[in-house]
Amino acid sequence: MTLRLNRRHFLGTAACGLAAAGLPLRARAATPFTFQASWINDAEFSGYFAAMDLGLYQAEGLDLTYLSGGPDVIPESTIIAGRADLTLTTPDTTIKAISEQGAPFRIIGAQYQKNPLGIVSLKSNPINSPAELVGKTLAVPPVNVISVQAMLKMNGIDVADVNIVPYAYDPTPLIKGEIDASLDFTTNVPYTIGLQGAEATSFLLYDYGFTTYNDTVVVTEETLKTRRADLVAWLRASRQGWTAALEDPAEWPAKWADSHFDGTGRSIENEIYFNTAQKPLIESPAGIFAMTEDGIEGNIAALEAVGIKATRDMFDTTLLEEI
Amino acid sequence: MAARDPRHLFHRSGLRTALALLILWEVIGQLDLVAGGALPAPSAILMRLWIDGADYPRHVLATLYASAAGFVIGNLAGVLAGVIFALSPAMLRLFRGVNIAVFALPPIAIAPILALTLSGMAPRITLAALGVYFVTMSATVIGLSQADSRATDLIRAYGGNRRQQLRLVSFRGALPSILAGLRIAAPNAVLGAILAEFGGGGRWGLGAYLLGSLGRGEPERLWGIGLIATAIAGLSYAGFALLAGRLIGASRAVTMNAALPDAPTEKEHPLLAVALRAGMIALPFALWWMFIWGTGVPALIAKTPLGVVDYLFFSPASASARSRLLEAMGQTLPVTALGMVAGLGFAFLLAISSRLFPRAIRAFMPVALVTQTMPLVALTPLLVLVLGRGMSLTLWVTISVTFFPAFVTLAQGIALVPRSAQDVPRAYGASAWTEMRLVTIPASLPYLFAATRLTVPRALLGVMIAEWLATGKGLGNLLNQSRGFMDYGMIWTVAAVSVLLSVVFYQLVVVAERRVLRRLGMQTAE
Repeated sequence: MTLRLNRRHFLGTAACGLAAAGLPLRARAATPFTFQASWINDAEFSGYFAAMDLGLYQAEGLDLTYLSGGPDVIPESTIIAGRADLTLTTPDTTIKAISEQGAPFRIIGAQYQKNPLGIVSLKSNPINSPAELVGKTLAVPPVNVISVQAMLKMNGIDVADVNIVPYAYDPTPLIKGEIDASLDFTTNVPYTIGLQGAEATSFLLYDYGFTTYNDTVVVTEETLKTRRADLVAWLRASRQGWTAALEDPAEWPAKWADSHFDGTGRSIENEIYFNTAQKPLIESPAGIFAMTEDGIEGNIAALEAVGIKATRDMFDTTLLEEI
Repeated sequence: MAARDPRHLFHRSGLRTALALLILWEVIGQLDLVAGGALPAPSAILMRLWIDGADYPRHVLATLYASAAGFVIGNLAGVLAGVIFALSPAMLRLFRGVNIAVFALPPIAIAPILALTLSGMAPRITLAALGVYFVTMSATVIGLSQADSRATDLIRAYGGNRRQQLRLVSFRGALPSILAGLRIAAPNAVLGAILAEFGGGGRWGLGAYLLGSLGRGEPERLWGIGLIATAIAGLSYAGFALLAGRLIGASRAVTMNAALPDAPTEKEHPLLAVALRAGMIALPFALWWMFIWGTGVPALIAKTPLGVVDYLFFSPASASARSRLLEAMGQTLPVTALGMVAGLGFAFLLAISSRLFPRAIRAFMPVALVTQTMPLVALTPLLVLVLGRGMSLTLWVTISVTFFPAFVTLAQGIALVPRSAQDVPRAYGASAWTEMRLVTIPASLPYLFAATRLTVPRALLGVMIAEWLATGKGLGNLLNQSRGFMDYGMIWTVAAVSVLLSVVFYQLVVVAERRVLRRLGMQTAE
C-alpha cells in the first residue's frame, strides 16, 4: 500500500513538472534546493505553496524539496545537519544561538514583518492589554515563555504576577475557561474559538514593545557563501508566490484541499481565515521579506530586553537588494 | 479467541458490564456532564469518525508502515541478540547495561533526539524498533534457556553438538515464548511510531493527524484518532495472539517481562568479571558515541557523552545549566517516587479486587486497555479541566501510564497462589481479607517486585508527560523549553539523565528484590 503513497507523490511531482514545462524561458538544469518549513502544512506557508504550484521555483532554476515541520523539528538543526539549505525560524531562537553558541547562521529575510504571536482571550473574559494579565492564568508554549516574559517586563509587570502554564496546542481549556488567555498566532486560533460558539479578542506582543519579526529566513554562513545565486532565486520566487497567495487570500487555500492541505486535520475555512489575517503582517512597502533598518533596530531592542545580544551583522539585507 | 485468554479479560459478563458503562458514557457525553462537554459521547465520536473517514486511510497506512518496519527490525535484533545471549552468558552480562537502558528509556526524551539526528521515516521506525527490542530479546533468552533438558540430553547422548541442540530442541521450545513476546511487542511498535510522527514533522501518520487536529478544539476528532490508534494496537496484539494460538495452541502471559534473565554464575577469573562489569557500564556510552558518529550529525547538534560532561561542567554556561537541571530534577524526582507508589498501589488494589470482585474488574478491563493506547496529548484538555494542573493531575497521568502492566503482573501472581494454602485460613473461618493478608499477598511478593520493575521507567515517563503538557515544571518542561532555545546540550543532558535515573531506580528495585526474596527463600518472578 505504500505504493499508492508513492504513486500520489509521483503524480504530484509529474504534474508540477508538466506545469513547469509550460512556462517560457525556464532554466533547464534545475539545482536541487531543500526548504525546511517550521510547522505542519497550513496557511503560514501559503506563499511557498503558491510558488510551487505556479512553477516559480523551476522558473528560477531551483528543484525545490519542501519539508514540513513539527514540534520536535528545530528548523535550525536541519540546516546545520545539512538536511536543508534554508529554513524559517523564530528570530529569538536563532539570534540566541548565534550570540551564545556561535552558531553559523545569517538572517536573509523576514516573512512576518510583525510577529503574529499574541495574547488571545475570550470576549466574555477579555484581556486587552498586558496590565490586565495580572492575576490571570496564561497558557504559553514553553518555547515562547521567554518572549512573554520580555513583553511583561517591558510593560512594567512582575512576571510572578502572571500564572504561566504550558500550552498544549488545544484551545479547549481557553474556551472552557480553565485558563484566561493563551499565547498563539492571532492569525489562527480565533477562528477555532469562533467555531465553538465563543468570540475571541487578542493583542499582539509586537504592539506592546516586543517588536520582533517571525519566520525569519535563515541560512548557514556556508550556504550564503557558496549558494548566493540560489538563495536570491529562492527569495525572488517566494516573494512572487506570496504576492500571488495574498492577492485574494481566500482564493488559494481552497485549491489546496486535495494537495498541500490534504489530510492535515485542519479545515480549509480555517486556512482562509489564517491567510486573510496574516496579510497585513506579511506585506511591506519595501517588498515581502523586507528587513528595513528600523525593523532590524526593533528586533535588536526587543531581544536586548530579554538579555539576547543581537547585532546588525546577523541580518544580511544584501540578497533582498539583488531580487 | 477472547474466551481462551487465561485471565478472561473479556468474559461475557465483562462484556455486559462494559456495555452498561458505554451507555453510561453516552448519557454523560450527551448531557455534557463532564468538564462542560469536554468528554464527548461515544455516538458523537463515531459520527466524527464517519465524517473524517476519507482522511484516515493514508494516515493509518503511514503509521502501519513505520510500525511494521520498526517491528521487523526491532524483532530481528531482539531474536538475534536473544540467541547470542542465550549461547553466551558473558555477552548477556556485557550487554546488561544496554538492555536495561533500552527497557528504561522514556520515549518522550528520546523522540527529540531522534528528530535531531535522523530524517524521513527513520525516527519513527527507530522509536518503534526500540519499543519492541527488549520484549522480544528477553522472551527469546527465557524461551531458549528453559529448553527441556531431557530433550537436549537425548541429542547430546546421540553425539549432537550445541548447534544441533539449539536447532532441534531449544528453538522449538522457545517458540511459544517468542510468540508471546511478539504479541506484547506489536502494540509497543504502534505507539512508538505515533509518538515520533507527532513530533517529527512528516505529513502522514496518525501522530501528524493528531497534531493538526489539536488546534480545532474538537474532542470528538481527538478521541476518534485515539480509538483508531487503540484499534490498531489491539488488533496487532490480537493478531499475534491468534497466530500463537494457531501455531502452538497455548496462550501465555499478557505481561511484558521486565526481568533481565540472569546469567548462570560459573567460576571465572576475577579479572574477567571486572572486565565484564566495566564493559557493561561502558557499552551504552560507546553505542551512544557510535550512533552519533554513524549519523554524521555535526557536534553543535549531536552531543557525545563527553559533550554532555563538557556542557555540564566545563562550558561557560555550565553553572546555569547545572542549576536548571538540578532544579528540574528536584521537581520531578519526588513526584516520580510518589507516582510510582500511586501506580503500584492502584494496580495492587485492582489486583486484589479482581480476586474479591471479579466481575467489576472484568468490566473495567476494556476501559483500562483504552487508557493504554490513547495518546495522552489528546486527553490533556479533558484532564486539566477535571483535575486542574497540580499534583493530582500528575499523579493520575502517572497512574494511567503505570498501572496496567503492574496490574496484570500482580493479578497473575495472585492467581498462582496455591489453593491449598488459601484453604487453611478459610477452614479456620477467616474472612476473605484476612486470607489475603496472611497468605495471598505474601505469597505473591515476587510478583510485586516484578511489577515494581515494570513501573519504574513508566512512572518517570508519566511524570514527564504531565510536566510537558500541563504543569510546566521539572524535566519534561525543561526538555521542551530547551528545544525552543536550541539548547542542544540540555536536550541531550535531559535525555541522558532521564535514562540514567530510570536505570538507577531499576537497579535499586532489583537489589531490594534479590535481598528480600533470598531472605524469604523465594524465586524471582518472570
